[in-house]
Amino acid sequence: MAAGSVLVIGGGIAGVQAALDLANSGFLVHLVERTTSIGGKMSQLDKTFPTNDCSACILSPKLVECGRHFNINLLTLSDLVSLDGGPGSFKAVVRQRPRYIDPEKCIACGLCAEKCPKKVSNDFNMGIGERKAAYLSYPQAVPLKYALDPGHCIWVNKPGRCGLCAKVCPAGAINFDDTVKEHVLEVGSVVLALGFSRYDPSPLDFTGYGRLPNVVTSMEFERLLSPSGPCMGHLERPSDHREPKRIAWLQCVGSRDINRVGHPYCSSICCMFALKQAVIAKEHAQGEFESAIFYMDMRTHGKGFENYYNRAKAEGVQFHRARVHSVIPAPEDSNNLQLRYVDEQGQVNFAEFDMVVLSTGLQVYRHTVELATMLGLELDVDNFIKTDSFNPVATSRPGIFVCGAASEPKDIPQSVMEASAAAAEAGQIMAPARWSETSKKVYPAEMNIHAQAPRIGVFVCHCGINISSVVDVEAVAAHAKNLDGVVFSQCNLFTCSQDTINQMVSIIKEQGLNRVVVASCSPRTHEPLFQETLRDAGLNQFLFEMANIRDQDSWVHQQEPEKATAKAKDLVAMAVARVRSEGALPYNTVPVTKSALVIGGGVSGMTAALSMAEQNYPVTLIEQSDFLGGNGRKVYRNWKGDKFLPFINELSARVTTHPQISVKLNTEISDVTGSVGKFTTTFNDGHSFEHGVAVMAVGGKAYQPEGQWQFLYGINPHVQTLLELDKRFIDEDASLKEVKQAVFIHCVGSRIPERPYCSRVCCTHAIDSAVRLKELNPDMDVFMLYRDVRTYGQRERLYQEARAKGILFIRYDLEHLPQVTDKDGQLVIHAHDPIIDANIIIHPDMLVLATAVQPRQQTGVLSKFFKCAVDSQGFLLEAHMKLRPVDFATEGVFLAGLCHYPKPMEEAIAQAKAAAARAAIILAYDAVPAESVTAVVTAAKCTGCGLCVAVCAYNAVSLDENGVSVVNTSMCKGCGACVAGCRSDAVTLKNIGNEQIMAAVDAAFM
Amino acid sequence: MTEIDLLPLRAELKKQFQDKIPNAKIDYCLTCGLCASGCMASDIEGMDPRKFIRYLALGQDDLLRNTNWLYSCSICQRCEYACPMGINVGRFVYELKGMRPKEQRPRNLQKTCDYQKESNSTGIPNEDFVWVVGDILEEVHANEPEWADLQAPVDKVGAQFYLNQNAKEPTVEPEEMVPIWKILHTAGIDWTYSSKWWDGANYCLFSGDPSEWEYVTRKQAETVNALGCPTYISTECGHMFYATTEGLKRFNIPHNFKVISIISYYAQWIREGRLKVDSSWNTEGLKFTVQDPCKLVRQGLGDPVAEDLRFVIKKVCGEENFIEVWPNKSNNICCGGGGGALQAGFPDNRRKHGKAKFDQLHAADADVVITPCHNCHAQVMDLAEHYGGKWQTTHLWNWIVKALVK
Repeated sequence: MAAGSVLVIGGGIAGVQAALDLANSGFLVHLVERTTSIGGKMSQLDKTFPTNDCSACILSPKLVECGRHFNINLLTLSDLVSLDGGPGSFKAVVRQRPRYIDPEKCIACGLCAEKCPKKVSNDFNMGIGERKAAYLSYPQAVPLKYALDPGHCIWVNKPGRCGLCAKVCPAGAINFDDTVKEHVLEVGSVVLALGFSRYDPSPLDFTGYGRLPNVVTSMEFERLLSPSGPCMGHLERPSDHREPKRIAWLQCVGSRDINRVGHPYCSSICCMFALKQAVIAKEHAQGEFESAIFYMDMRTHGKGFENYYNRAKAEGVQFHRARVHSVIPAPEDSNNLQLRYVDEQGQVNFAEFDMVVLSTGLQVYRHTVELATMLGLELDVDNFIKTDSFNPVATSRPGIFVCGAASEPKDIPQSVMEASAAAAEAGQIMAPARWSETSKKVYPAEMNIHAQAPRIGVFVCHCGINISSVVDVEAVAAHAKNLDGVVFSQCNLFTCSQDTINQMVSIIKEQGLNRVVVASCSPRTHEPLFQETLRDAGLNQFLFEMANIRDQDSWVHQQEPEKATAKAKDLVAMAVARVRSEGALPYNTVPVTKSALVIGGGVSGMTAALSMAEQNYPVTLIEQSDFLGGNGRKVYRNWKGDKFLPFINELSARVTTHPQISVKLNTEISDVTGSVGKFTTTFNDGHSFEHGVAVMAVGGKAYQPEGQWQFLYGINPHVQTLLELDKRFIDEDASLKEVKQAVFIHCVGSRIPERPYCSRVCCTHAIDSAVRLKELNPDMDVFMLYRDVRTYGQRERLYQEARAKGILFIRYDLEHLPQVTDKDGQLVIHAHDPIIDANIIIHPDMLVLATAVQPRQQTGVLSKFFKCAVDSQGFLLEAHMKLRPVDFATEGVFLAGLCHYPKPMEEAIAQAKAAAARAAIILAYDAVPAESVTAVVTAAKCTGCGLCVAVCAYNAVSLDENGVSVVNTSMCKGCGACVAGCRSDAVTLKNIGNEQIMAAVDAAFM
Repeated sequence: MTEIDLLPLRAELKKQFQDKIPNAKIDYCLTCGLCASGCMASDIEGMDPRKFIRYLALGQDDLLRNTNWLYSCSICQRCEYACPMGINVGRFVYELKGMRPKEQRPRNLQKTCDYQKESNSTGIPNEDFVWVVGDILEEVHANEPEWADLQAPVDKVGAQFYLNQNAKEPTVEPEEMVPIWKILHTAGIDWTYSSKWWDGANYCLFSGDPSEWEYVTRKQAETVNALGCPTYISTECGHMFYATTEGLKRFNIPHNFKVISIISYYAQWIREGRLKVDSSWNTEGLKFTVQDPCKLVRQGLGDPVAEDLRFVIKKVCGEENFIEVWPNKSNNICCGGGGGALQAGFPDNRRKHGKAKFDQLHAADADVVITPCHNCHAQVMDLAEHYGGKWQTTHLWNWIVKALVK
């Protein structure tokens, strides 16, 4: 039998996501991390694009969950040294280096670091500033355990010397005799989440890096911005600690460079990274601030990115389409930096800045190459781990999967998707052994507080400087102490850090607290964490309230700290007032119907269906049309040259013959009831189907050129769209070889006010089609009229290949649209070349339009059935753009493919597998938690009018035989519609009744 | 606005370059403008390196053949140095210069090449060179008793080192030859000049004629081979170093010697104690800065030779008296005089090109600008005169001799 445990290597966001998905779906996870703590690159970031979320804040709950998870065995300071066997039964040897501080004993008091005499360059802060040889890499580190740096610790290098840490450690945790440990692990599968390193620009003398102190890398800048960084979030430049007022970003340092760097690929994330930094730096700088980004192509190809770019332009970030050759000291003040650049018109310009940030590219770690070699994995030309076009998380060795930037540069949402996809793949292998090696968390018996007077504890969070830089948190805590029922209050630097969480459990017990208020961030991200803490302390988790003094206070009232402090006091008083009269609630559950519905029979839908079926769950796949394969059937090949049709035919065959999959063509949905665990969906043929989860993979469609974007489409026969050209490639149309001049126009219908988003796929698709034409006829003149070439990641190689083949790229902008005219049937195109300011006249016998990808009209209707959100463009809106890219806010429903955002097939496949993994987490359980905050009816007040029944969107309310309203708690979502609808005040929500609301109102206006 | 009708696209020059030059990556251009932003000749004659490549790609061959920007681009290769695609713009400029019919080339530039083919770039007879060397040596012997044993051997077969010479010194300032003799003498070097092909310069490189460049290099190599010197010392000149080393390599010319820049030897000999120098002479605290010759540093030996250069200057003038300029070393900006610009005419363009160099040196505010290259020397001196620089422009040798401890 296959092992029911899995090895995940790498504790960055991708590894953490894969570990959580696998542990939550019934497998034991060994999470192997090379350094002292998990968190990876994301823990070093200040904010994340495009939501500007505080990176540590959204990451921390996941890290804490990982650290506390019963079925995750966290092995820090560890490396995989050998791996034998194959899928289902690998034998791994993991070597764990000594920490020299016993994690069982360490209480993270920090005395060791305080007394340690040895200062070391702070690697977590990218070498800016120092830490000690006894250290914790960052405040929210998981595990929250100190370590001795063996490279620098005095005792470790010369036993007998120093030893100060051992003298001061109150827990006796220092263990200089700690040794290397070897763990032999039997696992069914391996997930590699090895991450990426950043290019070191030191060899590029012209950047000034390493020579001029105020030239920093983007990662260094991130640390300078971060509240937990070397300047505590008050941006200073290195040379003189002055606040910079003018900052320039130089793009593509270490990317798209085959001369000095040897990285032909695009690093994919740096454009957005720089945009975000420019926007955030402006927020940091109070008053005048000048930011400029020097770039080749602005690559904002992800969901929400183009809007972010437009907003940055509106907010005054300057964009220069120019690469700067050299950064030199400014003539007047050598701390400042001078840039000479030539604009697109050839004009020489000079500009002076206080700081320059180099947007350094991504590359693989050297040890990734070593590990891959040891494991016998193929690497690609850029040394990334090679994957399959149609299985983007599969390595060349069966049973070993890869996710995140170790296989190609990519952003966090894509890495998270791949992490879940890798979990799905590993889950497929280990499905027979689900729950065979796991253990279950047992909470302590719940304290009965029924007759107790309120004993409320209040925890006020600094959130680094997110709150404390504006709100006087000490004053808020002091104010809370005097509120009725409050017996304890204190401040914490990061309330969500593991030590504070542990401390909270002890405090609840010691102080005999029976209700808790946390004044910090958003309950949306952090409430579950704190509620679980209450359970760990033996309290019912509903005896809890949060006051959001960050999003609703410190972030929005930065300019008025005093008023913000007063508001924080009010928000805390309101939370205390609410919690005072709250009671324990039952932990409701809903039994899970162990089957899935997949909507959409394209590649995404088929992939999701197959992945769940392979995990042994029955799936019904419905498709509106009479065939499987969707849009994928219209595309010739991908940028790696792999043709789509053979793959799709094979996938369709596997789906239609799979014993666990039932395919229903020509099928649409007419109604959906129920919720996570038990949905009932009715189809247009009148049949109903019960399922525990649903995956929406309803696809997208191509924009039809019209108005100024029509370019004679539909009028002149030589004008066609990319998909129409693909059809000719598929049909092996011999006349293509006869074409003498071909022109492609990019961005037809994309990146315009009506559709302010980039369609992500068209640059690559158009360029590949152009390359195909050149393959058919090398003498053909091919011109690409583009706005920015967005061949992100390794697709950049295709762009380079296209140029090398002589395909000529001419940039246009919205002010100079190409003019397409018909002269006696002959197309004549006028385009403006900005480099030499010339009017270029082309006489093509073929014009190809790279049209936008749009959501389908039905998406909105379908989303309403499942109560899912859509964005302003009509694409489905995920629960969180960064960390929950395949989930909806509605539980039990997931999304994949073009209905989410335009994307190439390999990404759609990854997302579909991710959706399958996320769905499998629900399907793995016999029952899932249901809403506890449900409506209750006071029968004596009910008049039986039935309004509550009418307004309930979940069919949870009905009238009993006496005509009195009753609520089915397993279906009630606690939305409160019935409460608001009831004219006789007979319905109320548990813990959100009039009593709590009026108490909060009173507290606010007292 | 120019109209370019592409029916069809014919880019003949581009194609010729691609056929002829290995790794001619014209098509790779990203039009990012990095080259133009790093080129001090940008905007002269309405041209810059990016436009140059763009015109090639769009087949604007006549415009390229006729632009006099060919004589403003000094082929300093600063554009190629940082170009993300590593496109060698200078190489195409060189090719185009050579493709011009001789009669359409700048007259003076062509003349120097013609002289060079005969013997040397100024056209003085070989016997005059030998006579001048002897005459100047006699003068030293007569006037400087402490150098009574100074030698300046010519055609000494089997000498360990061969020293080349730029024709400018024997022609117009012969006393400038003496410092090197003194340095070699003090370091105990067994060296010789040659009586023919003694000029290490190669102006045919500037006119763009590979066959003539090759011819001259071949002659020079044959001469040194005949003398049997295992080491060829290239004097303080970026052009001469590049023309010789690149010529030997590109034309695969057989030779039995290695070519070493004298800058490397200065540093080595000082480190070894063979040359003892002392900065105590600099009681006034004269401030020094340096011009890194493109051909010696960026296209030659890179940062190590620039570090050697600084090491020697600091030893000679005192560490505290050295002023660094930015950018520097391998990334230094060209003076604007190389690549034939000094010989080709177009002085306005040349000075416009050199303005950035003037501004940089002016900002450094040094008393002395060391120019270990004949083109840099002439151009920097001219820039100082034209734009009003107060510094003294000199080779390094004078100051080594000044600091020499015998």
